[in-house]
Amino acid sequence: MKLSDRFDLFHLLMLALALGGALVLGFSGSGSSAVVTGTSRQLEQDLAYRARIAFLRDVYAPVEELMTQGRDQQALLKLAEIARRYPGEGYGLLLRGRILHRLGAVEQAAAAYAEAVRKNPDFVDAQAPLSARQEIAALLETELQPVRQRAVGQGKSPSARRALSDLRYLQSRLAGGCE
Amino acid sequence: MPVFDRQFWLILLASVLLGLCGVALAVLGNPQNSGICISCFLENSAGALGLHGNERMQYLRPELIGFVLGALASALAGREFRSRGGSAPMLRLLSGVFLMVGCAVFIGCPIKLFLRLTAGDLTALSGLAGLLAGVWTGLKGLAAGVGFARAEKQGGAAGVWIPLFFLLGLAALFVRPAFLHFSTRGSGAEHAPLLISLGAGLLLGVLAQRSRFCVTGSLRDTFLMGRRNPLLWGLVVFVLTATAANLATGNFHPGLYGQPGAHLEFFWSLLGMYLVGWLSVLIGGCPFRQLIKAGEGDADAGLVVIGMLLGSAVVQAWGLAATAAGVPLYGKVAVLAGLAFVSFNTLSGRRAEA
Repeated sequence: MKLSDRFDLFHLLMLALALGGALVLGFSGSGSSAVVTGTSRQLEQDLAYRARIAFLRDVYAPVEELMTQGRDQQALLKLAEIARRYPGEGYGLLLRGRILHRLGAVEQAAAAYAEAVRKNPDFVDAQAPLSARQEIAALLETELQPVRQRAVGQGKSPSARRALSDLRYLQSRLAGGCE
Repeated sequence: MPVFDRQFWLILLASVLLGLCGVALAVLGNPQNSGICISCFLENSAGALGLHGNERMQYLRPELIGFVLGALASALAGREFRSRGGSAPMLRLLSGVFLMVGCAVFIGCPIKLFLRLTAGDLTALSGLAGLLAGVWTGLKGLAAGVGFARAEKQGGAAGVWIPLFFLLGLAALFVRPAFLHFSTRGSGAEHAPLLISLGAGLLLGVLAQRSRFCVTGSLRDTFLMGRRNPLLWGLVVFVLTATAANLATGNFHPGLYGQPGAHLEFFWSLLGMYLVGWLSVLIGGCPFRQLIKAGEGDADAGLVVIGMLLGSAVVQAWGLAATAAGVPLYGKVAVLAGLAFVSFNTLSGRRAEA
């Protein structure tokens, strides 16, 4: 490059100073308000997630206690009570699915599980704190075939068809992939 | 078949490696069937840059950086790096946005379409039909005189900025500045080891730049030239390699149900890929090819890349992207808006040509 005049020299100097300054600031990583804001954002994100988990565990602790005692009907009533306060909460739906599955109401359990996972895909992540991956896999293992037979066999049942669609959704979610 | 042509062998090599890497990266940690997926990776990268708030889709994918920088290195080494552009910038930017809309509704770019198929995902057949129809429609448009004008050599350094942006991305990947987000759960948290992803991206970037391999380009040229088209053989080899790799790694599960990252709304998969095929012909290549061209100094492709990044952010932020549950209402509206966009531009393009 030929530096023909002061104009070129000025701009080259400006380029070198700007690049040098940006590099020094960028790699020093301290004293910049932007960095502080950025850190807070990531921290806020992680805090919000953990706080949410802790809150859900706290809110649904009475339900889980009733379930441990085997009082599933009371647990369902308690879930309905909590749902009035927090309608549409995914974890409540997940617990509902768990109870209904235990009670043998497979089609309703599939609907509850599918709705829970639609609201929060974390429930099928293996490492997530509130993961229900194993129980959903177990549900699919034992119920997919019978539900399919009821849905497509003789005397096709509309509720079984809906349940089949829910189970297939859960099956696809368990298989992974992008979302 | 032009067996002894150097270009032909380069295409075959690129295709084999694309098939192998496409499966291997998923085996090594990338989401299932998404060893290579430009649209998924762009959605992850947009999330990492804070352009959308889906905490499960945030990761600055090294493969994307590798594609662009590999193409840059190859173009520089082969003295093919030329700063060029200046053709229909707004249309290209918006085409990039709508490319991502079509991909998000199908759940995957054309490369992932074939990776899904080679893993036995039969739901992807509707996407394939859509892509073929889209490419055919685009070709009909080209034959009728529609098309964005060719990029011309430009003064200044317009073609440098996208490679530079990705070079900064590479630095950011290692420095991990605080403004970047990285998912701790969901598909954004699933990734192959960084250096392997980056290496695979660089290798494929170099080979794709040398060979000009492109999925929609293969289909387009096959419609034009039939079996004489070397890219067709590349596509065939890519499919065979990926199928063999999926079979060898136990990832081949033929069927319609329980497929990873797939839904059963076939009509919308078809329309989504129809949009992608049509747009890809008009702008001269699929999302992967646009990244490679941007690495070669094509500022027009660079604008498509920026549009794709913007589109990736929009589909996540506005909830347009399909999931295993199906296609959201506004995702369907966005595909129709994309089809309206490309139809209008085809009409007005033809009028201008006349």
